[in-house]
Amino acid sequence: MSPVQQPEEDISLRIQELAGNLKIRDVMTRHVFAVTRTCTMRDVQTIMKNNAISGIPVVDSNHVVGMVSVHDIMSAFEQDWMADAVADHMTTGVRTLSEEQPLSFAMSAFSKFPYRRFPVVNRKNELVGMVTLRNINVALIQELSRQLATMETEGGRVTPPASSDSCIFYRTYRLARYDFESGGKASAELREQLRVRGVAPKTIRRAAVACYELEINIIAHSHGGTLTLYIDRDCVRITANDFGPGIPDVEQAMTEGYSTANDWIRSQGFGAGMGLPNTKRLSDEFAIQSGVDMGTMIKSIVNLNTSEELSDESK
Amino acid sequence: MNKLKPLIDVLSATILNGPPGWEDREVRGVFASDLISDILVSDGEETLLLTSLLSDQVLRTADVIGAVAVVLVNRRHIPAALTKAATKQGLPLFSAPLSKFNACVRLGPLMEMA
Repeated sequence: MSPVQQPEEDISLRIQELAGNLKIRDVMTRHVFAVTRTCTMRDVQTIMKNNAISGIPVVDSNHVVGMVSVHDIMSAFEQDWMADAVADHMTTGVRTLSEEQPLSFAMSAFSKFPYRRFPVVNRKNELVGMVTLRNINVALIQELSRQLATMETEGGRVTPPASSDSCIFYRTYRLARYDFESGGKASAELREQLRVRGVAPKTIRRAAVACYELEINIIAHSHGGTLTLYIDRDCVRITANDFGPGIPDVEQAMTEGYSTANDWIRSQGFGAGMGLPNTKRLSDEFAIQSGVDMGTMIKSIVNLNTSEELSDESK
Repeated sequence: MNKLKPLIDVLSATILNGPPGWEDREVRGVFASDLISDILVSDGEETLLLTSLLSDQVLRTADVIGAVAVVLVNRRHIPAALTKAATKQGLPLFSAPLSKFNACVRLGPLMEMA
């Protein structure tokens, strides 16, 4: 049989789509610490330390005139400028974003410029917020969760990929970090779906274990993600997508016994470094792609009704 | 092939969940482990699973590998939630005060004979 092709998802397109309706105003932090020109570098350092922030805008009647970063503070320590006014040592020519702009503007600003935060201004050019990559990530994940929740309340039966008119079952599950409670829901449903269709027990087990391993992987090792089950007459396709942190060395992760699991994960009985190799072993087709800080996509296909399976069963 | 009942008897195990007909379920092999990762890698069919883990994941794992039943060894106090989950799943669940090693020793001769 020919395996069902996973529709190629253009990730950046998907992100653009998610960000589509959001404006910078929707994601920015509104509670902003700002200082005036006459504050000292030491004042700024104290505010940073007490509030665990790494960059503070300098304002003059609500207009941004500069920024002080941790880097500037370090230079000030080195040069003995801590008692000086911020006006003397701040970074000037600060780039600001407008609260009316779409979120995608902020995303391209982060990829274009080396800054880790941007002050956000209103139409009168007054400081109204700050935006960091974290704001953006949180907003995208929230938006994704919202869309998934909508999917789930609609019975989880979203439109399957157009190419697959032979699709029997299609469902997406949302999995959160360390939510071991939810681990196993997808595999239980997969098992039941295959059982009622009279699939051989050996095949059911392979598919269910592969699915369970991928569920646990998302829960134990990622910031959260989704798992999609797709069943047609010929095969089961399990797709696991997570939101990061990504696997720096995929080859190493595929090695039996290699694990990055912490003690807590191990205390749950997991973390022997077998998850990925075991999933691959059980799959008829297996593919993994990972980008650090982007996420990991894993595809596992288990063929149904293979002749090998039939001969196994007749033993 | 062994029936489940004599295996449970030899362990002097307590029945936590015994769905109708559990006595006659057939057991082909025994797998004893406290590492879910290892249970997931195991290949045996119609397995009786022995473990001292008490997390919900044990029952999910048993379900995923299609285990016949689970015996919680080395444990006297079993969380009520676990029994409830087993009932919901229709999975026979037992507890035995024996250590895992001693439980295996007792099961050994029966499994050899079959």
